[in-house]
Amino acid sequence: MDHFPTNWGRPRSEAFDAYGTYPIHQRPKTDSFSAGVQRTQQPIVTGTSVLAIKYKDGIMMAADNLASYGSLARFKDIQRLHPVGNNTVIGAGGDMSDFQYIQTILDELIIDEFTAQDGHSLGPAEIHEYLAQVMYARRTKMNPLWNSLLVGGFKDGKRFLAYVDLLGTTYTASTLATGFGGHLAQPLLRSAVEGKEDTLTEEEALAIIENSMRVLFYRDARSLNKYQVATITESGVKISESKSVETSWSFAEGIRGYGAQVQ
Amino acid sequence: MSQQPTQQSFNPYTENGGTILAIAGADFTVIAGDTRQSEGYSIQTRYAPKVFRLTDKATLAVNGFAADGNMFVKKVRQRLEWYRHAHAKDMPIRAIARLIQTMLYARRFFPYYVYNILGGIEEDGTGAVYSFDPVGSYEREACRAAGAAQSLVQPFLDNQIYFKNQTAAPGASFPKHLPLSTVLPLVIDSFTGATERHIEVGDGLEIYVVLANNSSSLQSLLNMRGIQELTATNDGERVFVIRKELKRD
Amino acid sequence: MNTFVDRFSTTSAVSQLRRAQRLAEEEDDISDVAWGSQAGFGNIMKGAPSFNVPDIPDPTSFLRLHTDDHADPSCRIKIQHGTTTLAFRFQGGVIVAVDSRATAGSYIASGTVKKVIEINPYLLGTMAGGAADCQYWETYLGMHCRLHELRNRERISVSAASKYLSNLVYSYKGMGLSMGTMICGWDKTGPAVFYVDSDGTRLKGDLFSVGSGSTFAYGVLDQGYRWDLTDEEAQELGRRSIYAAGHRDAFSGNTCNLYHVKEDGWKFIGNYDISQMHYEGPGDVPGHVGGGFGYDLRVEGLTSANPPPAAAEVAPVAA
Repeated sequence: MDHFPTNWGRPRSEAFDAYGTYPIHQRPKTDSFSAGVQRTQQPIVTGTSVLAIKYKDGIMMAADNLASYGSLARFKDIQRLHPVGNNTVIGAGGDMSDFQYIQTILDELIIDEFTAQDGHSLGPAEIHEYLAQVMYARRTKMNPLWNSLLVGGFKDGKRFLAYVDLLGTTYTASTLATGFGGHLAQPLLRSAVEGKEDTLTEEEALAIIENSMRVLFYRDARSLNKYQVATITESGVKISESKSVETSWSFAEGIRGYGAQVQ
Repeated sequence: MSQQPTQQSFNPYTENGGTILAIAGADFTVIAGDTRQSEGYSIQTRYAPKVFRLTDKATLAVNGFAADGNMFVKKVRQRLEWYRHAHAKDMPIRAIARLIQTMLYARRFFPYYVYNILGGIEEDGTGAVYSFDPVGSYEREACRAAGAAQSLVQPFLDNQIYFKNQTAAPGASFPKHLPLSTVLPLVIDSFTGATERHIEVGDGLEIYVVLANNSSSLQSLLNMRGIQELTATNDGERVFVIRKELKRD
Repeated sequence: MNTFVDRFSTTSAVSQLRRAQRLAEEEDDISDVAWGSQAGFGNIMKGAPSFNVPDIPDPTSFLRLHTDDHADPSCRIKIQHGTTTLAFRFQGGVIVAVDSRATAGSYIASGTVKKVIEINPYLLGTMAGGAADCQYWETYLGMHCRLHELRNRERISVSAASKYLSNLVYSYKGMGLSMGTMICGWDKTGPAVFYVDSDGTRLKGDLFSVGSGSTFAYGVLDQGYRWDLTDEEAQELGRRSIYAAGHRDAFSGNTCNLYHVKEDGWKFIGNYDISQMHYEGPGDVPGHVGGGFGYDLRVEGLTSANPPPAAAEVAPVAA
């Protein structure tokens, strides 16, 4: 036993054995065979922020069409909003291949549920719970699905909006944003939406979302001025065609290092 | 001296802030937690409960990594439901405490990053607080704070509940148990204080109160503003929750 | 634990746990036993304890990464530790004395820990190292001691009980368990003390002290220990040794819990506040004469640095 006073109760170090009590003394520092199993240890093709807010008629969610490969804007027509069943949309940031896998398992889930023909259908709350369990189970297997996901929906007269990520962390709020959006857009969304969830019209909600997407496009280097907006209301799921916001870069002219001039 | 452990590229843990606290009285227990959930400097949500009613005599507060905490509460509730089906009664709180120990220790080599505080009423009608470390060592206490602001709140409770570093007036002595009317303001002050001085504490406060059968504290409690009763059985114990606002900055 | 051979070996502790885990997954998630009254001791539903191990090449370093606050003070999961415990055998039985402090980093997580684990009316275990490791495995030991009684119609010997524990922790060797415990009791052979730790060491002896404050306790214990100590003298020696450790070791302190094991089982003698022992002594208890244990009380008035209170007040006038 390691009798050094402050080492009491700590997991013993197999690398250091002061009294030679443990039989194997030479241990290699790294294991060249540990790379034998390949897992998502880091995201490769990635999507950036997803934004979502509650408004009078339901949920509005937005994500741009870019899938980056590191700093390269690799795919510029990727849809990151995915309808699940008739009342739900999920939006994903993070690894796009893991997101495609999530799409397939959710689509299978919906088909299974449909074929049961038992008069029940999965609403946003059930889909979020299912997703959270999948994400948590995968993190516990040390093999995460590298995504931050928003789940938005409207069913039985109730709005639903929640978050789940690669660690299985979940939460709900009236405005949510993943990735960079959590820092840049979330404060704007909160000040525009909190307390007005039941009065905001679709037009007002769209203006808030558009403004936030513009701010993200200005400052998030992994974003694109081409995005889609999903609305989930009483009448079902609608995902818009890709669109863009008006931007103005004239201010850059006067700033050294920002505009066209070199020195 | 010791070699640094090798860094894994995926870290399955995070820390979601917040603070929980429980105080046992003679015939009641108060279990409270703030409702802010954060990661780093970002507030994820202003309302994510950390205190959960398990039965009419037991309430569990969880703090640390939120995903582990929610999963753990879910699994404890599942075991309690099985117990109810097998025995047609609620599991006594001392048994729940032992159950939680074995459930936490089952993950000794991949711990739940969760600090648990279990509060409720013992079979003999006394208030009880059990506190746990992440791998299941536990102890019955009179009061305990855990989480981000435990180092702010616990010394305050040591002073106000255990009367540490206080000397009784000549001829007087400190009471062994405090009444609910003293404990509730202490809980609220603990959280307003922690909200002032800790960035991960704030937004909302949920105070669960579990009363023993025929508790004398019932009348004073029913006068509280915004109180809600959660009692589900006729066993005699009663569970209430009081929700309050905390500063949101 | 990270060699090629180790990863694919089928006999290491890790791979055996993994195999048990795989078997458990193949069966129903939870067996029927968990449902009814046998649901009791969480993880031994299937006969043997099964543990969840992270699915990575080197689980031990994973555990160290997240729980070893000595190697990395900012590690998140802080397991409670820090301790002084002692037990000794003498003519009148066994004295077991422990402090009650638990630390997590430099924070005193608790000052009221029960570090003597009452395994059954004749057996005590002490807690040093990981609090959960000691609590859990000594409770588990208690179950098996009871099973031994039921099977053999007699109480288990202290030797057998301690060997049961040491074999058990040895099977987890290298997994990161941390416990240093003394199994104390009275059996057919008389009073007995065995030291068992998480490396699998098991030692029979008359006198042990374990923990960060053990050196301080040994100092007092060694100079006061005799086989023919009376019960009262022995209890006082236990108290005084824990006081010394609580006074000098930052990771020990708060209170002292004292137990005495005799032929008819153990008895809890008392709980003593260490600060109070310093200034006022343990109170009116058998074996104790005089006031506080504090060194400055004994030299009061004998050194210029520590004049009697009366002299201190007079001194300025005289000058």
